Amino acid sequence: MTNGTGTSQQSRNLFSSVLTDIQFWVPVAVLLAGLLLLEWIR
Amino acid sequence: MSASPITAGATLSARSRTLQLLGILSGLTAGAWLGAAEAPTKLVTLGLSPMVISLVMVIGVFLARWSLPALILGSSSISADARRAPHLIVWAILAGCLWAVANTLTVYAIRDIGLSIAFPLWNSNSLLGILWGFLFFNELRGAGLSRWLGVLGGTLVMCIGAAILAIASSGAHTPGANPAHGILAALGAGVLWGTMYIPYRKAYLSGMNPLSFVTFFTIGELGMMSTLSFGTLGSQYLFAQLSAARGVIFWLMLGGFIWVIGDLFQQYAAKYVGISRGIPLSNTNQLWGLLWGVLVFGELHGRSTITYTQVIGGSLLMILGVAAIALASASPKESAQWKAAALRESDRYGLSPDFVEARMDGRQSIGETAPSRGIIDWIFVAVATAVFVYFASIARVPNIPAHWTPAIFLSIASLILLAVCGLRLWRTTRFQ
Repeated sequence: MTNGTGTSQQSRNLFSSVLTDIQFWVPVAVLLAGLLLLEWIR
Repeated sequence: MSASPITAGATLSARSRTLQLLGILSGLTAGAWLGAAEAPTKLVTLGLSPMVISLVMVIGVFLARWSLPALILGSSSISADARRAPHLIVWAILAGCLWAVANTLTVYAIRDIGLSIAFPLWNSNSLLGILWGFLFFNELRGAGLSRWLGVLGGTLVMCIGAAILAIASSGAHTPGANPAHGILAALGAGVLWGTMYIPYRKAYLSGMNPLSFVTFFTIGELGMMSTLSFGTLGSQYLFAQLSAARGVIFWLMLGGFIWVIGDLFQQYAAKYVGISRGIPLSNTNQLWGLLWGVLVFGELHGRSTITYTQVIGGSLLMILGVAAIALASASPKESAQWKAAALRESDRYGLSPDFVEARMDGRQSIGETAPSRGIIDWIFVAVATAVFVYFASIARVPNIPAHWTPAIFLSIASLILLAVCGLRLWRTTRFQ
């Protein structure tokens, strides 16, 4: 149980570290904009 | 037997210089192989949809990206990298998606405004790479005016040279229905490709091996490319095109395979000289692509003296830009800033600073298991080889005029670069 809780806590921390990293959102925003542009052009 | 701090510092500095030279050599080798990747695709003269051509190339890329790392390092090493920094899998897939969307946008850009206008627009990715490198990864911080001038000036000169080459090498283009769409598509591709280097650099500041990174990158690449192809063409039309293309699939996949070799070196360039220097150096692929086009496929045959002057002038400018960037290697102050950026990654994602430092230094960390290959790796290699051999057996030998002597010389030059750079990478870093 302790290991399971520890792993889950670790995954949550990792998830939160990714989501609060601006360096993650810049490529995500650019990708979404690119997809929108592609859809608009087509 | 441990070195004193002073000796260790001096050794590290010498090591740092060696790694930077290795990064520059990797960037130049990347240019040669990325440019050579265009050659097999020139053999394909069927009226295939550009989307199908891209998809088949990406399938070749996918096979190469799983088999080459398995052959060089072994999948156990790749799994260990993924366990150490699982967050980087997300970044690698994200980068693959960015590549696929950018590549698709270029198809529309060429259709609407032609290569001569589109190419310089998406080549602006190197300028964006400098911006992201500076903003996020402390690149060029504390670099001093001369290095700034070398990198930024060199990149600008290369962009001008690339624009001249693009104008010279493209034929007269009939504008498409909507030139504004073409300009936006080309600029969009540049932004996507320039931003794609954020995950690259992030991975290498976290200690991930480039061979591990590309293995996950290709999942995003193939996934997004397949989605776009099915979404754009529809499954029925897509399969009909793939079936009609049976005889040329090998050449396209070979193009993808060669491209992966170039991209691997590009990854090492991004790792050892950063994205602000690595991207412009690997953008020399345009020069190599032109050499293949002109010398092997006689693309500029019968064109005016002005065109040849443009080609020579553009090439010289590109070489000048490369020299300026290569001479503006990172100072000790800037290297310290890179380490600060790496420390940020270690803190944020709970990575061992010793591990990250060792990997940035191109070596294994203490206690790390040496890479080894197992049965699964040989299966990857065997499957990829079997697929290539099968498509080679049904491939049609293209009946187009090509000059084989320059092709042999260019191939030898590319192989020499591959051998020299590969050997240096192996001796210095064991492909870390």
